[in-house]
Amino acid sequence: MKNRMTRYPSACFLLAFFFISCTGKPDSGEDPEVTSRGSIEVTAELQEIPGEFIDRSDYDYAFVMKYKVLEVHRGQLADSEYIYVGHYNPQKPRDAVSDARVDDVGGRLKKFNSGDIHRMALEMPIDDHFMGGIVNRYFDEYSGPVYWAVWTNPVSR
Amino acid sequence: MQKDRVTHFTLILFFLALIFVDAASLFTMQLLQNQTPTIFDVVTQPPSQQNLRRFENDLEDSSWLVQQLRPFVQSVRFSMLNDLGKKAVRGLDGWLFYDLDVRYLTERIDKSDAAEEEVVHSILSFRRRLSERGIQLLLVPAPGKPTIYPEELTRRATGMKAPINPWTRKIISRLESEGIQCIDLFTLFTSQKNDPQASLNPTYLIQDTHWSTHGMILAASSVASRLIDLGWTSRGTTDYIQKSISMSRLGDVLKMSKVPGIESVFKPEIVKAAQILHAADRKPYADDPASDILVLGDSFLRIYERDEPGSAGFVSHLACCLKKPLASIINDGGASTLVRQELYRKPDLLKGKKVVIWEFVERDLRFGTEGWQDIPLPEDPAKL
Amino acid sequence: MVFTSHIFLFYFLPFVLLFYYLLPKGRNLFLLVVSYIFYGWEEPWFVLLMFLATLVNFICGLFISRPGATHTERHIALVSSIIASLSLLGFFKYFVFMQNNLNSLLSLFGQEAFPVFLVSLPIGISFYTFQSLSYTIDLYRGDARPVSSFTDFACYVALFPQLIAGPIVRYSTIADQLIQREHRIDAFSSGVVLFILGFSKKILLANPMGEIADPVFAAQSPTTLDAWFGVVAYAFQIYFDFSAYSDMAIGLGRMFGFEFLQNFNAPYLADSMTDFWRRWHISLSTFLRDYLYIPLGGNRKGNLRTYFNLAIVMLLGGLWHGASWVFVVWGAYHGIWLAFERWRGKESIYHSLPHCLRILLTFIVVLISWVLFRSTDLLQAGLYLKSMAGMNGSSGGSVLLSAELYNPAHLLPFMASMILSFQPVQAFELAKSLSWWKLVLVSTLFVISVLSLIVQTFNPFLYYQF
Repeated sequence: MKNRMTRYPSACFLLAFFFISCTGKPDSGEDPEVTSRGSIEVTAELQEIPGEFIDRSDYDYAFVMKYKVLEVHRGQLADSEYIYVGHYNPQKPRDAVSDARVDDVGGRLKKFNSGDIHRMALEMPIDDHFMGGIVNRYFDEYSGPVYWAVWTNPVSR
Repeated sequence: MQKDRVTHFTLILFFLALIFVDAASLFTMQLLQNQTPTIFDVVTQPPSQQNLRRFENDLEDSSWLVQQLRPFVQSVRFSMLNDLGKKAVRGLDGWLFYDLDVRYLTERIDKSDAAEEEVVHSILSFRRRLSERGIQLLLVPAPGKPTIYPEELTRRATGMKAPINPWTRKIISRLESEGIQCIDLFTLFTSQKNDPQASLNPTYLIQDTHWSTHGMILAASSVASRLIDLGWTSRGTTDYIQKSISMSRLGDVLKMSKVPGIESVFKPEIVKAAQILHAADRKPYADDPASDILVLGDSFLRIYERDEPGSAGFVSHLACCLKKPLASIINDGGASTLVRQELYRKPDLLKGKKVVIWEFVERDLRFGTEGWQDIPLPEDPAKL
Repeated sequence: MVFTSHIFLFYFLPFVLLFYYLLPKGRNLFLLVVSYIFYGWEEPWFVLLMFLATLVNFICGLFISRPGATHTERHIALVSSIIASLSLLGFFKYFVFMQNNLNSLLSLFGQEAFPVFLVSLPIGISFYTFQSLSYTIDLYRGDARPVSSFTDFACYVALFPQLIAGPIVRYSTIADQLIQREHRIDAFSSGVVLFILGFSKKILLANPMGEIADPVFAAQSPTTLDAWFGVVAYAFQIYFDFSAYSDMAIGLGRMFGFEFLQNFNAPYLADSMTDFWRRWHISLSTFLRDYLYIPLGGNRKGNLRTYFNLAIVMLLGGLWHGASWVFVVWGAYHGIWLAFERWRGKESIYHSLPHCLRILLTFIVVLISWVLFRSTDLLQAGLYLKSMAGMNGSSGGSVLLSAELYNPAHLLPFMASMILSFQPVQAFELAKSLSWWKLVLVSTLFVISVLSLIVQTFNPFLYYQF
């Protein structure tokens, strides 16, 4: 065994690399912020990121994404299966997203990947909470309420 | 020979250290913070083009090295090369311009037929939908700053007339030939600039992409006069008073440059604004959703209105001229499509409207966020 | 993946180097896999296409080199390889162009146009098609030995350092290296020097030159001064961009034990167009010479045929660069110059002038060709040339271009580009030995370039589109 390990140092390195990096613990996304902010709190799976984010660093906007609801922790949703949520400046990590204009958003999520699960504190409708550009690429297919993401944490299974 | 080997080794070690440092620092920091390293996203996501691009951007955005070094590099480039980054174009005597505004004027618009049709169709369709409900449409294309002040961008433009993009002219004349009412701020601002009496008071801010309070008030007065002249509305009875406020403002072009400490090099502009107050209770102007006039627009409406000092922008001044409160939707950078999508989500705002005023900045004809989509109006609340 | 991207420099390259040198064997297979990842990074499905092209040429190679194969069998195998490779290239690169031209022709005769079937162009297809073709042709001619392993052949076709934008590496150049190659410390460090010099050329010179050329070529009607400034900047951009890619490719090759041939040799010091093509994209010009010009008869069939051959080779060379009439005219322009100089005994029309004037005039002749190369269509090229001649009065917003162009961030690299373009020392030569002063120079350049990369958003390699 020892011989084999020394003969294949790269394999050992790879294994060690994966082992070290797979030490993350399950995380329900719960924290004092997500449980207290907004009027609605859900855990939902990000179904789709519709196209590219706007590639303009000088433009602050909200970007609407589609979620499948897994659990409602607080409040009531207009649609129980899928919700459409606007995230402020989605290209930024949530802990760096608040600014002078929008100072009440945040979270621990670093980036948006479709298929990921998020625990979110939400408000509704988005227009009452965010007065800026809302990029909603579901406009033609969905005319229901759009939620405003106040706090977004990642959930790991 | 031994000396040669030392040089080779030194170079190789230096090179390897530099190319490994970024991944190693990010990997270590993310592990220390109990996060799954970003690098593993490449195997957790399907390898679609979109996911790969996003992964690549994520790696760069989350790079500790990049985050630490970028401000330093920006500072060095500014101090050595006077470089304010890609968003800003330096003009003369401290004037700053937004790159997209300049590009809109300098660049040839190739094969613009489809794009032109999209803009014209979108505006005509919006007008048609409004007129079906008995609502009039007034367009207010706001000129880009270099259109009005080309000589502040380059000495070559001294004495030249406003270099209006032929495409802007073409679209506006097509719309006017279709009977759409447009406010010509190009002529108004240019004549204002050429008036020796008024030329000391520019219609645009020196460090910003937007109009000055002077330019904004001119635009508001012009719109009010046109509405009255057309007979689309009449003056109301609400009395407003103006309160002078002086404030210092760091222009958005400087903010976009993101050069650290830029405010210590460029002194903020002193802006004299007139806040609109209700004469009765001296409270700042506030919109009335039930007004017969709805104003749609972008950051040209936001400046002074929702930004500091508040209630001193285009909407407030237009209301003051018309002696009645207005309804408004202000959608930063989204006057081409997003503002009408927002209107669609707010059906009540169209209730009782006689006029919609739609402001958009000239460059949005080409660079408008999400293009110029045909957006329906919300259901008529009266029919629901 | 782009060599000067964050992901390549800080992730792909270090990890590939690390695992490559940790592997005791199977290094070609490893290089093949990472090359496919490198290639598929832009569009994963294109890997399948490259694999298919590789497989077809490998099988054709087997037939050509099969012991006891008759001349006819070998000939059929070669023709199949050529047809398959050129069909692939033809379909993906020229199909849309052909449809558009057909539609133009139909509309000329008042006929209704066909709907155009759009095909995306796989990056680097022109390079890897030529490379894999060189294998079967060399095999047929007896200039190369057959490859015994499919992995080795696929590794040759896909080898990531030179996969996307050259230099075009012939199979015979690296056949032996695929089987057995040395990994020497001095070769590695020389590869590092070349990589850094190429990297610096791209980041510090080519990209800022692109920031000048792009707005001028995009302008409605630039002034005469701006038009000249723009095209000279473009000449520097394309040279430093493409030669940087070649330097980086050769440098990366050395890090993995491969030795590729020099691709550029101070092209703007050429004193005639014939001389220019001895110095510019050497791997393409020699490829066209050996696989097209000579088979067409070269200069062995009389003067007229020689001129015709030169013109047709350059015309096809132009078309190789892109499916557009501007490239055809660009190729024809070069072909006519070469034929003309051949007629004059390989001398330029200005041969009697002093050397420095010959260099200047050759540069101007090349500049005119770059206008064609950079323009989106012939109409734009014509308008641009009119602007250069002062016959296309600048109007409207184009006057404002000067604010974008003439600033220290552009003028400084412009001056540096001018000095470096017209001096004879090439990165390829510089990397042959390493001294302490070179070590300090390249290390400093690398740090400055990496720092500059952090704030640059403009980063395409021009030859990616070919």
